[in-house]
Amino acid sequence: MTAHSMDAGAPAKGRAVTSPRIWERIWQQDGPGYLFLLPWLIGFFGLTIGPMITSLYLSFTDFDLLTSPDWVGIDNYTRMFTADQKFAAAMRVTFFFVIFSVPLKLAFALGVAMLLNRGLRGLPLYRAIFYLPSLLGTSVAIAILWRQLFAGDGLVNQFLANFGIDGPSWISNPRYSLWTIIILAIWQFGSPMIIFLAGLRQIPQDMYEAASLDGASKWRQFWKITLPLLTPVVFFNAIVQTIEAFKSFTPAFVISGGTGQPINSTLFYTLYLYQEAFGFFRMGYASALAWFLLAMIAAFTAFSFLTSKYWVHYDD
Amino acid sequence: MTLRIDRRHFLMGGTALIAGASAGIRPVLSQEQRLRLTFWGGQDRADRTYAVADMFAAESGTQIDGEFLAWNDYWTKLGTQVAGGNAPNIIQMDYRFIVEYATRNAILPLDDYVGGVLQLSDFDEDQLEGGKVDGQLFGISLGANSVAMLVNEDAFAEVGIEPPNRDSTFDDYMTMGEAFNSANIRGGMKVLADGSWTEPMLDNWLRQNGFALYTAEGQLGFGEEQMVEWFRMWASLREAGICVSPEDQALDTGPLESTMVTLGKAATMPSNSNQLVAYQAINPDSLTIVSYPRIAPGAGGGHYRKPSMFFSVGGNPEQAEAAAEFISFFVNDQEAAEALGVERGIPCSAAVREALAPSLDEKGRIALEFVANLGDLLGPLPPPPPTAAGEIDLSLLRVIGQEVAFGARTPEDGGKAFVTEASAILSRSA
Repeated sequence: MTAHSMDAGAPAKGRAVTSPRIWERIWQQDGPGYLFLLPWLIGFFGLTIGPMITSLYLSFTDFDLLTSPDWVGIDNYTRMFTADQKFAAAMRVTFFFVIFSVPLKLAFALGVAMLLNRGLRGLPLYRAIFYLPSLLGTSVAIAILWRQLFAGDGLVNQFLANFGIDGPSWISNPRYSLWTIIILAIWQFGSPMIIFLAGLRQIPQDMYEAASLDGASKWRQFWKITLPLLTPVVFFNAIVQTIEAFKSFTPAFVISGGTGQPINSTLFYTLYLYQEAFGFFRMGYASALAWFLLAMIAAFTAFSFLTSKYWVHYDD
Repeated sequence: MTLRIDRRHFLMGGTALIAGASAGIRPVLSQEQRLRLTFWGGQDRADRTYAVADMFAAESGTQIDGEFLAWNDYWTKLGTQVAGGNAPNIIQMDYRFIVEYATRNAILPLDDYVGGVLQLSDFDEDQLEGGKVDGQLFGISLGANSVAMLVNEDAFAEVGIEPPNRDSTFDDYMTMGEAFNSANIRGGMKVLADGSWTEPMLDNWLRQNGFALYTAEGQLGFGEEQMVEWFRMWASLREAGICVSPEDQALDTGPLESTMVTLGKAATMPSNSNQLVAYQAINPDSLTIVSYPRIAPGAGGGHYRKPSMFFSVGGNPEQAEAAAEFISFFVNDQEAAEALGVERGIPCSAAVREALAPSLDEKGRIALEFVANLGDLLGPLPPPPPTAAGEIDLSLLRVIGQEVAFGARTPEDGGKAFVTEASAILSRSA
């Protein structure tokens, strides 16, 4: 749509007289398009951009939901970095989660994708089955199921009991609780797996044939052919999954009942934000937290893009 | 969360509306008033509440659309609704929040309706007082209650010892715990849940010691020494295996279903007198209630009778009168009282209480008698807690209590940290 309007708009610059006719032309050409876009545009401006700007404003106020907001300058941001131990705890939990869940999930997804790439019979069926957790994963029901699985007398411990292991209550022990959520994240490997699978299909078979003739082992083929040619897909998956991981909320909320317990071991950044906003009604502070999260994700993504030229291999 | 209007009713209502409008029978429709009611609680409470709502609709023609949530989610949603100018007409309110909502004009004063649509002539004076903020009536108490230990009687019978009574001390629980450990019933059930991060239990223990959780000025009513002693007492109960392990206790995330008695991990746990009815509804074992443990024989004054919850009026001021009428029906009507029982606490109207007593089941009678016969256990009603109390409970008592329980902090360290940080939160929010 922008291409159209720019073509039409360019000659208008020199000749202001004709501009009404130009606008008419733009309307005739693009009007229907915008009309069709209208529902989306209303949603985008009314439900996304509008609230975002409001929240940016609120992040500089002491809004508490019930009384009108007062301007407090950068107080919220100063408090975040200098006087808030819970913020520090939430940052630790979130980074731990991102750093462990994303690489493990991607490795697992790649592993399964490679298994499925061997031309199995009934591949679509397997693909669908393995993709299923991705669809279910962020739901409340699965988080509740996870609670049951990893509780003291849950299925996991019943299974371990067969080997004489007396497992702890995984979800309510601060040493393991975050790991149960990481495992839940890894289990939702479906969507990166599908993308890996598509990426693997793109790798020309003749390269492997040539490598086998030269006597390269499977292991060497993986490191020298598969992985380098797959780096654009790895890159894409890593960015998408990192953003997802930063935003993760439901599992921690359901498994800890919104408290981040035991201790603060499952106090994800988003959960802390939620507590501040809806538990203690500090909307101003929560808005500041939300904007810092956005800045953090943006910085992470920018960093990935900047370093990508050193490790992402594009074929051209 | 359950909305009472399902899609079919909505469609039927919508069709009726269109049909009605086209047939020109508007007067009938305009007379039909709808009020929104919101409350926290479980299914049992919802069933009772909706039964009363239906009775009221039959009598007055005013429809009540109810919605209920669990405690934690309730305040989240209510805050958002009030901020969005979409507050329900009748709001179940807690002693902890009533001052905050009243001073911010989120709920309406009801004094104008008293004696008119709102009949409170034989209401308990202390229960009326509890609903007042700065001399104005903002909440009508739905019942009196007190904290209480929930006791699984069957478990005690299995172990073969007497369940705790109103004179039991923490030391007695120690002895009972040893009996539980040697009997080893139901895969190692303990006698006691871990109450070290349960705010009402700390409150009760402090009051027995002559302190208070918060002063009338909204400051901490105790010092490091008491907090350290509190954590030490629980550490010794934990080490001796009298109370459940921290791992088990941390499974409790709030709902009735995840508590230690319901999960079968402990035979007793801190609770509230009115909750006996709700817990019995989801527990196969026979339950009862008893007062919190005493710190020493003869020590008392830890308990108090408080309004368990209120109904407040919010939303459109034009509908406030109708809302007050519903509340009056809710607390005065005999038939309504029978449907409600003592699930929200002991009714505050003397006439209702009298009429209700014969119709109560066994558990209801236990709750009624418990609140009526606290005797020397009863102390004065403390002032409403400061607004930061919720944050101190969730972010501090829970976290530090768990840190001590899991061994990440010593009781000494935990006690000091709690007092320092709680004071900081209180001064920041003041």
